[in-house]
Amino acid sequence: MTPEFEDALQLTRRQFFGRTTGGIGIAALAALLTRDGLAQPPTPGKSRGTPALPGLPHRPPAAKRMVVCWQGGAPSHVDLFDDKPGLYERRGQQVPDSVRSKARLSTMTSGQRSYPVLPPIRPFRAYGQSGMRLSELLPHLGSIADDLCLIRSLRTDAVNHAPGVTFFLTGSQIPGRPSMGAWVTYGLGSLTEDLPGFCVLTSTDQGKTCGQLFYDYYWGSGFLPSKYQGVRFRSDGEPVPYLKNPDGMSRALREGMLKDINDLNRKRLTEYGDPEIETRIAQYEMAFRMQISVPELLDIKTEPAAVLEMYGPDVHRPGSYARNCLLARRLLERGVRFVQLMHSGWDQHGNLGTQLAIQCRDTDQPTAALVKDLKQRGLLDETIVLWGAEFGRTPFVQGDLNNPNGYGRDHLGSCFSLWAAGGGFRGGLTYGETDDFCYNVARDPVPVHDLQATLLHQLGIDHTRLTYRYQGRDFRLTDVFGNVVPALIA
Amino acid sequence: MRIAPPGRTLPLPILGAVLLICALASAQRPPSRRVDYDRDIAPILKAHCYVCHGAASAQGGLRVDTPELLLRGGVSGPAVVPRNRAKSLLLSRLTGHDGKPRMPLGFTPLTDARIARIGAWIDQGAVRSGKPAPVHWAFAPLRRPTIPVVRQRAWVRNPIDAFVLARLEKAGLHPSPPADRVTLLRRVTFDLTGLPPTPEAVDAFVADRSPDAYEKAVDRLLASPHYGERMAFPWLDAARYADSNGFQQDGDTYQYVWRDWVVRVLNADLPFDRFTYLQMAGDLMPEAGPQEQLATGFHRCHLLNGEGGAIPEEQRNVILFDRVDVTATTWLGLTLSCAQCHDHKYDPITQRDYYSFLAYFNQVPESGVPPGGGQYRIAEPAITMGSDEEMAKLRRLEAEVKTARADEDAYRETESAALATAQRAWEDERRRDTDVRPQWSEWYTVGPFVADTFDAAFDRVFPPEIGVDLTTAYEDGKLPWKARPEWTDGRSYALTGERSAFYLYRTVRTGRPRSVILFLGSDDGIKVWLNGKPVLSNRVTRGVAPDQEKVAVDLAAGENHVLLKIVNGGGPGGFHFRSLDQGVPDDILALIRTPETERTPESSAKLRRYFLENHPPDELKARRQRTRNAEQVRNDFVKTLPRVMILSDAQPRKTRILQRGNYEMPGEEVTPAPPAFLPAPPDGTPKDRRGLAAWLLDARNPLTARVQVNRYWQLFFGQGLAKTSENLGLRGEPPTHPELLDWLAVTFRQPGGASPYDCGWSIKRLVRLIVTSATYRQSSRTTPLLRRRDPENRLLARGARFRLPAAFLRDSALATSGLLDARLGGKPVYPYQPKGIWDGLAITNERDFTYPQSGGADLYRRSLYTFQRRTVAPANMFDASVRNTCQVRPSLTNTPLHALTTLNDTTWTEASRALAERTLHGRAVATDARLAEIFRRVCGRRPHRTELAILRRCLERSRTAFRADPKTADAFLSIGDSPRDRSLDPVEHAAYASVCLAVYNLDEALTRE
Repeated sequence: MTPEFEDALQLTRRQFFGRTTGGIGIAALAALLTRDGLAQPPTPGKSRGTPALPGLPHRPPAAKRMVVCWQGGAPSHVDLFDDKPGLYERRGQQVPDSVRSKARLSTMTSGQRSYPVLPPIRPFRAYGQSGMRLSELLPHLGSIADDLCLIRSLRTDAVNHAPGVTFFLTGSQIPGRPSMGAWVTYGLGSLTEDLPGFCVLTSTDQGKTCGQLFYDYYWGSGFLPSKYQGVRFRSDGEPVPYLKNPDGMSRALREGMLKDINDLNRKRLTEYGDPEIETRIAQYEMAFRMQISVPELLDIKTEPAAVLEMYGPDVHRPGSYARNCLLARRLLERGVRFVQLMHSGWDQHGNLGTQLAIQCRDTDQPTAALVKDLKQRGLLDETIVLWGAEFGRTPFVQGDLNNPNGYGRDHLGSCFSLWAAGGGFRGGLTYGETDDFCYNVARDPVPVHDLQATLLHQLGIDHTRLTYRYQGRDFRLTDVFGNVVPALIA
Repeated sequence: MRIAPPGRTLPLPILGAVLLICALASAQRPPSRRVDYDRDIAPILKAHCYVCHGAASAQGGLRVDTPELLLRGGVSGPAVVPRNRAKSLLLSRLTGHDGKPRMPLGFTPLTDARIARIGAWIDQGAVRSGKPAPVHWAFAPLRRPTIPVVRQRAWVRNPIDAFVLARLEKAGLHPSPPADRVTLLRRVTFDLTGLPPTPEAVDAFVADRSPDAYEKAVDRLLASPHYGERMAFPWLDAARYADSNGFQQDGDTYQYVWRDWVVRVLNADLPFDRFTYLQMAGDLMPEAGPQEQLATGFHRCHLLNGEGGAIPEEQRNVILFDRVDVTATTWLGLTLSCAQCHDHKYDPITQRDYYSFLAYFNQVPESGVPPGGGQYRIAEPAITMGSDEEMAKLRRLEAEVKTARADEDAYRETESAALATAQRAWEDERRRDTDVRPQWSEWYTVGPFVADTFDAAFDRVFPPEIGVDLTTAYEDGKLPWKARPEWTDGRSYALTGERSAFYLYRTVRTGRPRSVILFLGSDDGIKVWLNGKPVLSNRVTRGVAPDQEKVAVDLAAGENHVLLKIVNGGGPGGFHFRSLDQGVPDDILALIRTPETERTPESSAKLRRYFLENHPPDELKARRQRTRNAEQVRNDFVKTLPRVMILSDAQPRKTRILQRGNYEMPGEEVTPAPPAFLPAPPDGTPKDRRGLAAWLLDARNPLTARVQVNRYWQLFFGQGLAKTSENLGLRGEPPTHPELLDWLAVTFRQPGGASPYDCGWSIKRLVRLIVTSATYRQSSRTTPLLRRRDPENRLLARGARFRLPAAFLRDSALATSGLLDARLGGKPVYPYQPKGIWDGLAITNERDFTYPQSGGADLYRRSLYTFQRRTVAPANMFDASVRNTCQVRPSLTNTPLHALTTLNDTTWTEASRALAERTLHGRAVATDARLAEIFRRVCGRRPHRTELAILRRCLERSRTAFRADPKTADAFLSIGDSPRDRSLDPVEHAAYASVCLAVYNLDEALTRE
């Protein structure tokens, strides 16, 4: 799709929109602006949303929605997902040069003179009917093992955080391309007008151990129109900037003001004839609706105790990963197309021994709860849950092998693990293999672009056909790469 | 979008559907069409095969970059046999039907459609179709077109109008009537200054009935200092200017000094050629001074990755790629980045071109990463550059240093006899001293002692702090003291463990009391005790470097105990140590012991130097102290001055083609050169950035002038004549008025003479030409006919109407309310932002990331001066470039979040309060007059009667609400830091403020009509 074509399309979309506001729209508007009309919280799933691009979805979609549970800083696949019993015997032995030479390292260890193996610090065990091997630190994920599609052969170009995250979420290491959520909402439109189509929630580990930041461009729209960028909900102060009416301005007064604004705008529309004025009127209506939907969304009082319990005690702390998992479910069931949870705390260079267990404790239960909760509501089949991070960690130790209080692992891009659930991904599958050192992919590599292609595929998008022309080039999420991996799909 | 020809217009939804069908149809070319090698085949082969079978690497002896080479083939024989698909190896290898590995090896196979097209070409005879493709319009030489003859000659004010009208007449359309005076003045005032006109300016203009009233208004606006601010905006977007580095740590920069340079030279109307030359190569000019160096700051507004493990060479290449992209987009309207990995698929740009272009920028002495620590992170090369006052002060401080030094030197000259006597006395004393210097033991270390946070680790008293016993092991025996005999002074050693403390211990023995200086470095925090007494404590996060700390300590006679605590927050830790004794070095001691008469002149001088340096008599010491103090004052001051990053060519490097754009895969060497398909620079052009600048501005360069005038047009019409202003290449949209574009380009570049309109690169002349045209002055009202015939206004039968950028909206609220502080330039400021906007960044202890909201007048500076943090853009600047990459085409969208911003942000609510106050204090007393005044300030015009009625309703409703609950009035009026006039009736004040807020949110207020 070219911007010119996009413009033409906007015109037709606007035309469509204009007809509704001009005809039934006025009546609807009047209803909206009466007190009763506004006081009603919007019914989930009732509002119409905005349509997909013509021709989309390209195929019958397996999934309508997606949630990314981002584990920033990069969890150690060696300790959590990629069970290699042989590593225990190799404790303290050097990772051979032949194994290491294939992968780039960050400058934090590329100058290191010795690379002794540090085996997983906690044992693995088998879970579920599939017997999926996961760390004993992940019992709750273990309880849904048969819903997880575990991929152990991911591969990325990046060896440092910001470029790695940017690569995973936008397809390029350099900031400035549209993120996956922006692509998806651009292509598929949104299912609700009461909430943004692409929402972002962030959390940090409780100890704030880790220097990983979340930048706006991790959910940016790049060169796509800025309305496709993710809207970040904050846990303190206003959830969305400028959502609250100014101090002293009651909802009733604001309603009246909006009516005055729109009446004046309608006069101008008659006089000037610019359809942009219609867009403005609609924009102000939607703003008002959002002011009501967002607080309703964030108010978890109506959640049954049993549901809250599922997500664990942290769910009561606003801004926690657990709370965000619950909010993710609420967003998804209200028609939000793409939810991105961003959690940090996994960058364990010198605190693997102390922090790994804590991080697992804080994320294991809520993540599993999100999957279970979606499943019990019948939403999991049409929702992709993706749990992952920018890369993996080295099997060799960073720091002193004999100092559990100070050792850790460095970044490793040549292989890492993550999992997807729902949305047509094959539950209980363990896919891909690494070498004896969890260092390089040995079988069935899944480069990041392939994973992206597969995710889009499940959403009904052919990754080679969802393009946008910018600076004379047809860009897509997967750059010039990417192949769907059929083996991952049920 | 193309406009349907007259008489065949379609209703829009159908038009959309038709477009869709066209788009789909063009994706699947009908097979009957004759295949053209250059158009259809070469791009496919280029995209898929050149990497291995091109000029750079003919694997298997095969090259596929011309039909002749395909016929010749490689080691397996001819790749193509005309009219014989079966014998054409090219086809069988692409399909994989011959059982051999399918090409391209390791890449996605070609689509069936593409393979079919190659097959069709083979069927046709596999030849190049004789006639060469016409030169792409933007690459064609630039000539001044003839001004067309039009029928309605009276409408034409300058040649722009003739071109526009000719096109309209051809389409059977008429231009719109001129905009009314109020609208026109508001339009041109926003366009040229980014601010709305004052009511006084509107009245004066409406009252001025002279024929050149409008031209006078334009000249007044062009002379306004706000013109430079307004014109700087798009340039800063192109330059991806920001006040921080981006990425983790996101250190601040001082590039605002460069930003002020841009505003200054735009106001002075520095011609575009000079403007270009200075920014590309100011540092290389023979007369280069600080101002010329400063201009090159354009090329240092890139992202900088200071992340812990960043690989400098990788980052340096990322910066180079960015510099190429920015230059190509800004000056040439080309996307070179496609050729970073392979030859460009559409434009005639090769990978060799790309790296030859990159070579111009590859001589900068930069590492790729900014050094760590602190709020600011600046990567060399950089210059110190303060304001005029600051630089004057620096010169004064330099002079003081010089005077103090001169005084010290003079004293040495005049008092040399007295100094010699003092030296002899000192020598006698030294000869008697047997206790030459202190004796240090080896180091002992223990750790890490882990805590929950860096602060806790720093504060907690771990056992070694209570008393050192080298035989003890702590934490159940897991942490014993370790001797470090291998550690030598003057080197850095690593200490591992996050949020933890290490202790380092050693003894020092001296025969008599003496003072020594300890020089220390630490990652991160450090504490030092001597004989159990604290002598240093610094809670800091940083990387380790020599001599970060300097402590003078007094050693007692006998054994002394030195204990260090090094506390690491995150990442690697480490420390550095050396000591400076007050003892005399051996060689000096030997000289002292040599009788004066036996010393050589050199050794006498050396001894004298040592004596004066280390043991100066009091008189000299005092003078030296004065010098030191002056130096210290100067150095401290220099540290407060901005360090602006600039360009330099001080590090010659060879440039190589990077295979697939990978810095670890360098290939063939290239030298600096512009893309080969464009006219070459004249002989003798230097092969450095000066040559590049000259080439950009050369009369034969077809792109630079076209690209610039197209972007200036975009500024005033919302879209360029060629809409894809960032790309005029083959994939860009062709211009709607190619001849107008060329006429403007030639006129812009041409020195005065041939035509009265010639600008000689003067931007102000070009801008004046555009905004005084009849085309520009048209009303922006839309008729059903125009909406149908030309919904996007590409034919310019009416004026442009578009939403103002967020920055102008904010500035406009400040200006109309009277809050605006119109000062030009200076450090970035921190106006209102949502609470905790930067909190997400506060993950290291390296610096405080609390948003440092400005106070007083700085809250009301123009948005140009708002601090631009790359990782978190200002929340109320919606749709603005986030300044990570070059952006030359603005994005305008309308989302509910934008509406919420202008409805609820403190900026607008405070402005509403101030505008209400201003109105209530104004001359108008009657309600309608006051409402009209508010409306007029914001929208320029007076409201109609029916509009006034709605405003009255708005006022009444607000009055009722605030009267019912006066506390809410008070709350509403308490928003914002500016003082509020408490003498006004709060209910009345709040009610009017509420009307102001509504008016600020009218479509008309948000729009430039």
